[in-house]
Amino acid sequence: MRCAIVGAGLGGFVAYNTLRHGGLEPDEIVVFGDDPDPAAAWRVQSGAIRQRRMRSESDGHCFPTTFPGLAVRETMRRRDPLPTLLSVCDRYRPSVEVFLRHVDELRERSGWDASFRQARIECVRAVSGGFELDGHGVIPHVLLAPGHPGLALPAELRGDPRVVHAYEPHEYGSKIAVVGAGMAAATEWRNALEAGAEVVSVRRREPARRPLNVARPLFTKRGLARFRAEPRERRAELLRSFSAPSYPPGREWDEPLERATREGRFRVEAELNGADQVICATGFRRGYQHAPVLRRLVEEHGLETHERWIFLADDCAVPELTDPGRTLALVGVSSQWAYPAADTLVGMKYASRRFLQRVQRCRTR
Amino acid sequence: MSYTLRGRLESRLAAVLLPFAIACGLAAFLGDWWPLQLAAAMIGIGLALDATVLHRLLPYQPGWAALPLGLLELGLTMALVERFDVAAPLEPALWFFAGSWLVAQILTHAGLPLLRLTYTDDGGELGRGGMALTAAAPAALVLILGAAWAGQPPTVRLAAGVHEGPLVLDRAQRLIGEPGAIVRGGIRIEADDVTVRDVAVFGGEVGIEVRDSEDVVLDGVRVGGASMDGISARRSSVTVRDCEIDSPAVAGSQGIDISFAMTLPPSLVERCDVRGGSEGIVSHLAHVTFRENRVSGTVLRGIAVTEMSMGSVDRNVVEDAVGVGIFCGDYSRCRITENSVSGTRVDPSGNPTRAGYGIVSHFGAVAELDDNQLDREAAAFIDGRLERP
Repeated sequence: MRCAIVGAGLGGFVAYNTLRHGGLEPDEIVVFGDDPDPAAAWRVQSGAIRQRRMRSESDGHCFPTTFPGLAVRETMRRRDPLPTLLSVCDRYRPSVEVFLRHVDELRERSGWDASFRQARIECVRAVSGGFELDGHGVIPHVLLAPGHPGLALPAELRGDPRVVHAYEPHEYGSKIAVVGAGMAAATEWRNALEAGAEVVSVRRREPARRPLNVARPLFTKRGLARFRAEPRERRAELLRSFSAPSYPPGREWDEPLERATREGRFRVEAELNGADQVICATGFRRGYQHAPVLRRLVEEHGLETHERWIFLADDCAVPELTDPGRTLALVGVSSQWAYPAADTLVGMKYASRRFLQRVQRCRTR
Repeated sequence: MSYTLRGRLESRLAAVLLPFAIACGLAAFLGDWWPLQLAAAMIGIGLALDATVLHRLLPYQPGWAALPLGLLELGLTMALVERFDVAAPLEPALWFFAGSWLVAQILTHAGLPLLRLTYTDDGGELGRGGMALTAAAPAALVLILGAAWAGQPPTVRLAAGVHEGPLVLDRAQRLIGEPGAIVRGGIRIEADDVTVRDVAVFGGEVGIEVRDSEDVVLDGVRVGGASMDGISARRSSVTVRDCEIDSPAVAGSQGIDISFAMTLPPSLVERCDVRGGSEGIVSHLAHVTFRENRVSGTVLRGIAVTEMSMGSVDRNVVEDAVGVGIFCGDYSRCRITENSVSGTRVDPSGNPTRAGYGIVSHFGAVAELDDNQLDREAAAFIDGRLERP
């Protein structure tokens, strides 16, 4: 076995497809995870907030190559140029249904199930010639894709029976407080208003209005060069600013809120005030400390960290544990130190492609 | 796409490889340099824009920007082509540009991302291939320029002073006159790809005679003292520009005569000053463009497009012609636009077709007129037609 992917979510799935594109056979890759459906967690979360469209654009897919993306494929399938034209104008946002169908099709033909092993890896230990994974043998190239380390709930609301997290399945009451102001919160405002509820948005700061969480140049080398040239403190500050709440601009978001505000069904407040139901659109817990496999890796190997981030090389590899003969790299949200938009599909592809390059350069392969 | 500067340049060079190869093939096939000159202008403009403007102005370049940027590059490329007098025919040039643009779009949006997994992540950079391309580009440029230089006809410099003629130019060459260079007795051109520049010609029956030759350029020549025609081109394709012709006051003399060349590429006469003679600028059975010339003091016609010629007569000034200012005759097709004809006088012969008309269409000819300034009217005779928008 040449490569292991620890984590069978979308990050692991993108990495798997990239490795397959790079010429690795399914029997050269092992994927460890809880569920063979790479979209299992995402499916639940997007279903919980009734998400209908992806925030990402045409490049938000799991194919290893940028082209053809979902827009071009949808154009070919429907024989309709509109998706591609929208994509050219950065206005194409595929439906969740299209995205999930694409994941299912790609899973079917990539050999993913042949490489999947249902096992939760708790410990990754560097040994001679690679990494030992909880008794699953020594593997020279390991990519950790642990995903988001659980849902975040404000401490003061834990145990409150009225509380449900936005990413957990739920229905809507008649008087709802939505805590948070990011994309999930904006979706929940709209959902709850459509369900006829009275909505109070509880927020500490105003959300930014931007199409994507992270500025577009930061998705490529040009913007990354500037980001990486910053001193560590400034780099951490920038990463914190990227995780500030935001949702896209546009009438589709504004009009329902304006209408509900006029009707007295939507208002903004700084504190909770006795709503029947509290929906926490507060995202995920942040930091390697919350992911057991990463926390243990850092502690056992003395890895360099900065605040909640593991210090990574520009190609998302862990520098202390990577050399020409073996690779340990991160993909997904835990690789933000190298790539700010690491939790996007584009970010996952970035880390996966660099991992593939290391695997291909390795003499032992 | 967020290009790095290196990525922009490498992507540009990769995208022009195919058009450049096509331009090379086309140049070899046509035996003409314009495809390469056009490609060079297009590539040069693109690289210059990339390096100086686009990199700074567009940290992120959305897909739709390719269209306005393509139009901008087209405008600048055509301006450069015009500025350097590249003899690229307009329609093929536009097709070449459009095809190149399309290739570039397909390559940068589909081909290169497919060929190179990290293409978009790397801001358009192409790794070692890109570096090789960047290194090869100047080498290719030197090679092409070297070949162009080696393939150029020799240049002969004519020193100041009087040279006894007639000079016979029977090989491709450039004859460049130093200030004060004069040829007495005329020049005869009998070869393709001949340029005569800044030379004054005096005497002889015909000042400059061109016979059975193509790609002949007469630039900045002055002709005087010839007993008949100033410039006479037969079965030839010529470009005459910025010339001065003084024709003798004898019957049948012509300032510039282009004849019997209907099957050859069009000839052009522009920005010439033709004085006196029977006819100023005339074509017989030829495809011609006469533009921005000044013709004065002729005793038969100022400008004539006749004997089944096809011609455009644009933005010329015709003054003090006897009989007819601009003539379209003998089943010719003429497009006559934005000319100024003044001071035309009645021919004392009493011929009714020569009663001092600004423009005449005669004997089955069709003249399309648009926006001409005439102080005497236009007229048609013997099945000639005048068409106005």
